[in-house]
Amino acid sequence: MSEKQNKLNRVQKRIKRHLSMSVREILDKMDEDRTRPKNMAYFDRLFNAFIEDSKRIVKKENGQKVVGTYCILVPEELIYAAGAVPVRLCAGSYDTVENGEDYLPDISCPMVKSAIGFSAMPVIPLYQSCDLVVIPATCNWKVKMGEILKKFVPVLMLDLPRIKESENSRKFWLNEVNKFKQELQKLTGLKINRSRLRKAIKTIQKAQIEVRRFEKVRMSQLPVIQGQDALAVMNTYFYDHVESWTEAVKGLNDELEERLCSGKTVCSSSAPRILLTGSPIIFPNWKMPVLIEESGGILVADEFCTSNRYLHDMVALDELSMSDMIHAIADRYLLPCTCPIFSDTLDRRNRISQMSDDYQVEGVIYHILKGCHPYDAEMKTIEEMLKDKGIPQLKIETDFSPEDVEQIRTRIEAFIETIKGRRR
Amino acid sequence: MRVDRIRLLIQFLSFILMIYGGIVLINLGRGLPALTCVYSKYSAGLCFLYPLQRFAGLPFFLLLGGYGILLLKYMGMFILWVIVLNTAWCGWVCPIGFLQDLLSKLRAYMNVDLSRFSWLTRDRYKSVKYILLVLLILLPIGIGNSFFGLPKLTDDLAVPFCQICPAKPLLPMFDGNFSHIFIDFSSGTKIVLSTLSMIILALFFTASFLKRRFFCSYCPMSALLSLFKKTSLLSLKKDGRKCTQCGNCSRVCPMEIREIADERERTDIVTQDCMLCMRCIEVCPEDNALRATFAGMTIFPSTAKGFLKRQGAFEKV
Repeated sequence: MSEKQNKLNRVQKRIKRHLSMSVREILDKMDEDRTRPKNMAYFDRLFNAFIEDSKRIVKKENGQKVVGTYCILVPEELIYAAGAVPVRLCAGSYDTVENGEDYLPDISCPMVKSAIGFSAMPVIPLYQSCDLVVIPATCNWKVKMGEILKKFVPVLMLDLPRIKESENSRKFWLNEVNKFKQELQKLTGLKINRSRLRKAIKTIQKAQIEVRRFEKVRMSQLPVIQGQDALAVMNTYFYDHVESWTEAVKGLNDELEERLCSGKTVCSSSAPRILLTGSPIIFPNWKMPVLIEESGGILVADEFCTSNRYLHDMVALDELSMSDMIHAIADRYLLPCTCPIFSDTLDRRNRISQMSDDYQVEGVIYHILKGCHPYDAEMKTIEEMLKDKGIPQLKIETDFSPEDVEQIRTRIEAFIETIKGRRR
Repeated sequence: MRVDRIRLLIQFLSFILMIYGGIVLINLGRGLPALTCVYSKYSAGLCFLYPLQRFAGLPFFLLLGGYGILLLKYMGMFILWVIVLNTAWCGWVCPIGFLQDLLSKLRAYMNVDLSRFSWLTRDRYKSVKYILLVLLILLPIGIGNSFFGLPKLTDDLAVPFCQICPAKPLLPMFDGNFSHIFIDFSSGTKIVLSTLSMIILALFFTASFLKRRFFCSYCPMSALLSLFKKTSLLSLKKDGRKCTQCGNCSRVCPMEIREIADERERTDIVTQDCMLCMRCIEVCPEDNALRATFAGMTIFPSTAKGFLKRQGAFEKV
């Protein structure tokens, strides 16, 4: 074996060991919490499997194809209807960021670097075993990512209009979704017909029943689940099949609703209620939620494309013709999307404003990943809106590295103390 | 509650009532805000556009006497009906609307894709119904009166809208009367009007088959109704803050109203084409973002749970 190959192998082993350790650390810490809902065990197992045994996640029963996705703009209904399994690949691991820096400049966002790192080196098999990776052309980093990933996996780019208010962009996106449908059919050899598509839509709607129930639970005055656990629930949807995930969330919801009745909380119900928004929080980058809850706050709501926004909006079936169902799917993915790459920020402002009413939020923490320019650009307008509502906002700019944890902790602690002080 | 199914049932019942109600001596007067045709033999009430055109065709001095009082009476009844039900007349009662909905159902059943107007087309032809409304009042006035010494218009132009309205050949068919399907060669005006009527009838079948409620976009009754909609008890309200702009409402809207999704400020969302079919409320997945109100009381709000139920998400896959 050549010297170079040897070195690569060593690096690969080291990264894998580090990744395992950081995941173990998070899971162990979660385990210590005695007030944790019992049904969280299922989601822990999924996180564990993600690192240790990701082959199991992409088990290809009867030759099912695996379609890797980035961003929430990839219509999963179509993937299921084509008989394939979607796996969301957005990555949050610090350990692979360094790898990704070989391909993109330092200032690019850590999420993209991490994902490229995973794809370039077989640390966990999930990233290499996808039969197709779909990337919507959202932010600039994702646009360039497609070209880089092409070296390792087959890639399909979905073109995306940036101004969703115009008729042209809606038609354009509808065409893209139709193109995606054709590509999927080519990949799996299975024709997406009306009954399969309808079944897929209904399957995801079933998951959304539980998501809405879960949201209702979190809106209540009693904190019956920690924010990091709630993030975990939504994050595991990345790798799980929708049906088994739905079952697990149903079990969790039952337990949480019982807790609401019995009044068993995870922390004092006077803990300041925090909403976390901004650049996505992706496992195992658990820095922000852990810090907030260790500092005495409770993360009651999050506005992320990796959690709350992922499954909130629903496809509405009207006429059951193929074209109308595709139209409904295209609309559901484009129109309510509050990703800051779109020109208009009003949707996201409204959403955060409404959420802070629904969840009785007392403070907003705005998380920006270094290099994530769209979220950074939108920060000011959100801050102004919150100011009018009398809700304080704290901006935290960071990346996946653990170096700045203590600095951020100090700032978050001060922020939470201020909120407590404002109450008096 | 599947409102679309309830609506279809009510539409069917009112269709029977409006076409055959006269047999059992039901008479709802001559001021109905729906295209219940004067030419159908047993109709239970009369479309207000007919008396409106008739009275407009009288010489002015006659309107100062008993005829004027009669016109005011019909108009008063019309306004009362609108105050109670607003444009729900179009969505829930109008027989021509019902026939168009049936054509849409047939199309969906035959699995033919629906057509939509482009935004530009829709905006361009928005004013047609108002132009028709103005014409159907001005032309008869020209028959009854002479202006600036000009000659009066020909009597053949009497009730001009009725002569081209698709209800005239269509609804009497349900009494077994097919006599309105012909081209009248008795005079030049009649030839033009009856040919136009036949073209509109053909268009009615083809266009309403492909596009939902095609005719309603041009109906002068809808223009007349929209003048009084602010005074009505029945209304459609939107809370722009709760809306996520998902666009479900405007996609399923039979009238293709974009404002229902795009409007964020205004709360009263009954736009000029709205017929209060409430389909938008049915497909809205946000609690209380859209709601129908009667005299200020919410009678049908949008809810996430109701949405999922109507979508059949609780049923087994």
